[in-house]
Amino acid sequence: MNDHLSNDLLVDFVHGELPPELDAAAHVHLAGCAACREDFELEATLTEALRAAAKAEEREMPSLVNAAVWDRIRSARPGPMARVAAWLRPAYALPLAAAIVAGGFFASPLAHPSAPKIDASYYLEAHAADTSATPLSERSSALVLETSMITTAPSSPSTLRANGGVAATGAVDGVH
Amino acid sequence: MGEPRTPIEPPTPEQAEFLERAMTQYGKATYNFAFRLTGNEADARDLTQDAFIRVYRAWRSFAPGTSFLSWIYRIVTNLYRDELRRRKGRFQEEIPEDNAPQAFGGERPLAVTPIEDFVDRQLSEPLSKALAQLSPDQRQVVVLADIEEYSYQEIAEIMGCSIGTVRSRLHRARALLRRLVERAQAQQER
Repeated sequence: MNDHLSNDLLVDFVHGELPPELDAAAHVHLAGCAACREDFELEATLTEALRAAAKAEEREMPSLVNAAVWDRIRSARPGPMARVAAWLRPAYALPLAAAIVAGGFFASPLAHPSAPKIDASYYLEAHAADTSATPLSERSSALVLETSMITTAPSSPSTLRANGGVAATGAVDGVH
Repeated sequence: MGEPRTPIEPPTPEQAEFLERAMTQYGKATYNFAFRLTGNEADARDLTQDAFIRVYRAWRSFAPGTSFLSWIYRIVTNLYRDELRRRKGRFQEEIPEDNAPQAFGGERPLAVTPIEDFVDRQLSEPLSKALAQLSPDQRQVVVLADIEEYSYQEIAEIMGCSIGTVRSRLHRARALLRRLVERAQAQQER
């Protein structure tokens, strides 16, 4: 290192940020070069001055900062997590849990045992029997026809037509 | 300050203790760091407050065994940068109206260099003023490297930039500081 040390290199040297070999070379150069030593002193003194100035200006954190931080935390609107947590407090949790269990019970099949399944033909036959009291009614005859169609399925479209299929279809529609 | 007033969850006992201990142990350092960045007490107070609210919110993300100070300085740095962006410029710095050279009792000591002369005459205020004339990034790097004594690597982590950027900002900042100090020295001698 025959040339003079640059200011940038001296700044890194003052901060101990040079690689070891460059750091050693800078040491050697400074020992023998008064001009570079003067620049180095300038840089080192600037750092010292900055530290001294900072030290002189150092101040305590105002106590109102601490108070203001706590005040903001305590007065803040609770967030969604806090609202959920509030619901989970025991005072709310017990009735809530009871309501969920009761709701679950009433919504489940346990509360409604399944009724015996009744074939659709039962209703059709019962209805046909009721309406057969007026045999001349167009509607009642159609229902009788439909009942026979359900119990004995038609073998072909021609059978359906012979049994008055159109009227029967209309009757079924009427039932539904 | 720019810290959004988003909902804050109520503290758990551990969280409350963490925050209280953080403010007790690191409040002063954090406040001084904020003051050196902003250059005035009102903004330093707000910045410190916002930083501790962030600490409170993110306390679980602090890795035990690492430097708390580096962590909170990173928080302060980010908040400061956000605020600068929001204000599109600079913080209001407290520069005394009295810009006149200071009076010194007795004989002035012989100056070895302008900077030594500054130190000897306890001119911390003009040096602070010179610091305030740097750009926010330059000031921050000088504060972290020269006052807080962080390594370039640590500064890069705090500021979220590369070591090369830290190095070049510091070089430029110090060159500018030297010029400002020498100019202030020349004005005082007139």
